Amino acid sequence: MISVGTKSKMASKRTTATTSAAEHDVSEQISEQILHKKTTISPEDVLKLPNITKGYLCTPDANVYNIDFIRFKIRDLDTGVVLFEIAKPSVILDDNQTEGKVEETDLNSGRFVRYQFTPKFLKLKLVGATVEFTVGSKPVNKFRMIERHYFRNKLLKTFDFEFGFCIPHSKNTCEHIYKFPNLDPEMIKEMIQNPFETKSDSFYFVEDQLIMHNKAEYAYNGGV
Amino acid sequence: MGLMTVLKKMKQKEKEMRILILGLDNAGKTTILKKYNGEPTNTIEPTLGFNIKTLEHKNFKLNVWDVGGQKSLRSYWRNYFESTDGLIWVVDSADKRRLSDCTAELHSLIEEERLAGATLLIFANKQDLPGALSAEEIKEVLQLDRIKTHHWKIIHCSAYTGENLLEGINWMVSDISARIFTLD
Repeated sequence: MISVGTKSKMASKRTTATTSAAEHDVSEQISEQILHKKTTISPEDVLKLPNITKGYLCTPDANVYNIDFIRFKIRDLDTGVVLFEIAKPSVILDDNQTEGKVEETDLNSGRFVRYQFTPKFLKLKLVGATVEFTVGSKPVNKFRMIERHYFRNKLLKTFDFEFGFCIPHSKNTCEHIYKFPNLDPEMIKEMIQNPFETKSDSFYFVEDQLIMHNKAEYAYNGGV
Repeated sequence: MGLMTVLKKMKQKEKEMRILILGLDNAGKTTILKKYNGEPTNTIEPTLGFNIKTLEHKNFKLNVWDVGGQKSLRSYWRNYFESTDGLIWVVDSADKRRLSDCTAELHSLIEEERLAGATLLIFANKQDLPGALSAEEIKEVLQLDRIKTHHWKIIHCSAYTGENLLEGINWMVSDISARIFTLD
């Protein structure tokens, strides 16, 4: 259909550093309790967190820019199949098969979501993850996302990406194409056997100040 | 190990490029971007903000930004110039009525200081449409020979069929890498 390929020619990886917990210098760590006392939280602060946080590091009111995530989609680039898609009710979903499903969400704030996947998900090689978001009436400068994924106390990966400027009243999309991190088979087994012990913190910053904090939990035992 | 070797190694570690796709609305910017990523292109809405894709091509990390081209959005283009290594200017070769508009917008971008170092690729898009002007004709209308400040190239393409999209990005990536990643 096309002269440009997705597999070999455009094989892709994420733009940002993937770190492991072991690489972190202990003296560089900062505790959640200390961050709770700070009036503003910076990207450097959250990058020093050694674990998943217990609470939220900001309130929903901190999102004064009205940034609203309206769609999240994961596709397998080896097959082109959309594995997972969740969108706000106002958004019409593409008519695609989806593999995963949403188990539970915090309807009050939309800050917490539980994803249910099948074990196959952990075997993927090349994945495209798309987010779509809208922005309120104010221009947004230096919009940055830091996402930290953990299994129990082990940091699996850190995503760090700067969207930069966002136009007032805009609708924007961002797809990161990346190779799935190499997890050892023992860890994969543990992750499947222990649903919702794989967790992530998503921190969003505008001009280096935390304005949103979302959490997610993942299970990979669907259909088992 | 000499200093040059060290510097080269440091550069190679972060072979990252920022590519900005601009052009008038309905030129085909988003279709090109989606085609590169193997996404369906049958339902594409006007971009009312940006679309970003991060992908790897020939061992380079490409961060590609497609920003909406409607008139009301063009004044925001400047917010995306910083650190741009490559600019792709997409032209609807069949939209003869707006080619003068297209020429004016392109030449005003060329004068932008923050785009001074960027490689410029012009895609003469929509070659699949009857009545589309050829790349040679677009080059004349857009007065590309006036551009002396940038490395530039015009390539005819069809985002619809995928024709020449890869050739275009290959030229851009090698031009950028020759400029910024080679020290000798």
